[in-house]
Amino acid sequence: MSAARTTGDDLTDVLPPGCRVGDWVVTRLIGSGGWSTVYAARPAGRGPGRSGSAASPPDRGDVALKIMPTAGLSPRQVRSIVESARREVELGRRAGHPRLIGFREWFVLASPERPFLEGAIVLVMERATGSLRDLIDAGVPETDRGRLIAGICEGLAHLHRSGWVHADLKPENVLLGRDGSVKLSDFGLATELTGTHGYAPPMGTMDYFPPERWKAPLGELGVPIRPTADIWALGVIIHEVFAPGVPLFAGATPMARGAAVQEYGEGRAALRVDPAVPPLWRALATDCLAPTHQARARHTAESLLARMTTAHRRTRVVGAGRRGGRARTAALATALCGVSVAALCSDTARTAPGAPPGLVRVYNAERGCREPVDLDLRCSLGLAVDPLLPYTAENVVQTRVWHGDVLTTDCQMHGGDPVVDEEDRQSTRWFRIRLPAGSGPSTAWLPAVRTREVPALPECR
Amino acid sequence: MSGVIVHLPRESGGADGEPRADAVTLRLGPGEVARFGRGPASVPVELRLDDPAISRLAGEIRVTDDHWQLTNHSTAHSYLVENPEGAGEYLRVPPRRIGAPIPFEFSRVVLPTRGEATVSFQVFAPDHLYLDPDAMGVPWGNRTVTAYSLNETATYFLVLVALCEPRLRDQSRVAVPTTPRIVERLSGHLASGELTARAVSSHIDYLAEEKLRVGAPDSPEPGRSDRRNGKREEIVGLALRFGLVREEHLALLPPLARTGGQERQAAR
Repeated sequence: MSAARTTGDDLTDVLPPGCRVGDWVVTRLIGSGGWSTVYAARPAGRGPGRSGSAASPPDRGDVALKIMPTAGLSPRQVRSIVESARREVELGRRAGHPRLIGFREWFVLASPERPFLEGAIVLVMERATGSLRDLIDAGVPETDRGRLIAGICEGLAHLHRSGWVHADLKPENVLLGRDGSVKLSDFGLATELTGTHGYAPPMGTMDYFPPERWKAPLGELGVPIRPTADIWALGVIIHEVFAPGVPLFAGATPMARGAAVQEYGEGRAALRVDPAVPPLWRALATDCLAPTHQARARHTAESLLARMTTAHRRTRVVGAGRRGGRARTAALATALCGVSVAALCSDTARTAPGAPPGLVRVYNAERGCREPVDLDLRCSLGLAVDPLLPYTAENVVQTRVWHGDVLTTDCQMHGGDPVVDEEDRQSTRWFRIRLPAGSGPSTAWLPAVRTREVPALPECR
Repeated sequence: MSGVIVHLPRESGGADGEPRADAVTLRLGPGEVARFGRGPASVPVELRLDDPAISRLAGEIRVTDDHWQLTNHSTAHSYLVENPEGAGEYLRVPPRRIGAPIPFEFSRVVLPTRGEATVSFQVFAPDHLYLDPDAMGVPWGNRTVTAYSLNETATYFLVLVALCEPRLRDQSRVAVPTTPRIVERLSGHLASGELTARAVSSHIDYLAEEKLRVGAPDSPEPGRSDRRNGKREEIVGLALRFGLVREEHLALLPPLARTGGQERQAAR
């Protein structure tokens, strides 16, 4: 986005706020690349009063205008710009999805008063609030990381299922919607698969090139691209999000890092994933970053996405202490629409004011354990096997729970083993908790002092 | 990225003027090392230089990033690294120097011998990258860039422009110029001397194999001459299609002797 600060010469080419483009009015410059400039805009019908100042968050009707000038370019350059626009339009029309930036319309600008824009191609797209790059630079909250990656993976799964390859996946092209949801964008290099390959122009971003790309032959149609190229880029992004600032491949320049990628691809160097990356994401990143196309092909966006959910469910149930694990689970629940997440941690329930009947939210009396940042095992709480026996280490199931977790309960029992918490509250009441399938006993018991909510429940028989 | 290509021509390196059995070409990927010297006995070398004045292990080449480094194992002799396209540009790598970075895309490594003749071999580093003309003046680290870039001051680029010239000038599907036509077109234009037909052919091979990596590498080679012609067509097609050669590059060629050129073409 710093590219927006152009030199004096180029300033004349920047549209001032208030300038009308088709049915839209420019509100501000968002950024510019080699071929295009992106502006924030609002519908021309709407008064500027409502949209407020340029810095205010985008309104629902606001759009982004991607303007690709063609004036003064050679016919060949124009052709490649038209082709890039055509890819975006076609993909936007045919492969719409909540995880892809919404495409509205496109038109060619007739602009006699601004000759540099005469004949420019304008793409009208959903307005995002920022990019994953901005977020990485500012620091991705630990609680958001898994959700963002799952969102990207979901978008990729949809693209690949629809027969497209993005071919330029990078944090700059992962935008964030008004609700923080992931929106893949910039399909200027996206290609539709014909058989196992698609073809993209010989362009891309070197830090996201898989090893085989460095040796890819150039043909009439461009460079052969396969979905595994996007999977590699996803692996790089996982590492960037979970180990911000730690280079995956060493080197001062993209070329140097590209050389390191090739050394790895040819088996002369090992992959060094930063230890800060949590185990689940390390495993996913490692598979995304398998050195060859063949090894990577086993890991489709869909299979990776499935692992993000199921591995997560399992992790939570086994209760191994994972940094940020709980937050991720919750976040995943929102990100993975349509994918059923274990009821052990349901996000809808979590955000509801007071759990509805059948759900209890875990409360930890220790203040230090209520921070949503860390899944420290010391902060975990046990569920009893038998509520009539003493609530000790021998009498708990493997599943651990943490403060804020929302559990499914089907009945309650009075007169169990009395439990006193750290705040001296005492109760003999227990809730029977349903555990996810495959976790040994199908139920366990939560002492009533471990929640602040008292749902109306039938007595257990 | 192809790494680095080391080429020991057939005629050089021969002891007492005797031709070597064969030319040697080594291809090194990033991080790979090739040692050179008189070899065998205790130290095996990847590149044998058969001259009594050269030590058993004379030096080594290590590919780093997009360039390479030269280590001089000699305790007495400096090695010269010349840029054959650089109008006399050269580096002197002193004895015992470790890992001197070599900035040239084309290099000739020259080792001294006792006699008049020197021993030399060539090293090509085709991975050098150039900024996109469309993306000048902006930070490029995370930018989408053209992955194939050409040194517009190199001889191979001049050959490429000459190959593309007929199509750039009138957009028609004229035949791609032949090697003799290229030699003629560029005659007297190069500071480094005249181009031979062989040089033009090797520039075309270099463009096709190292710079653009034309076509499917797994295709068989039925009829070498057919393939060679196909290769020229393909290079021109790709260079124009992806804007690697554009109208403005025609200025690199010597001015067209309009009538003369046309007469010759008609005479063909």
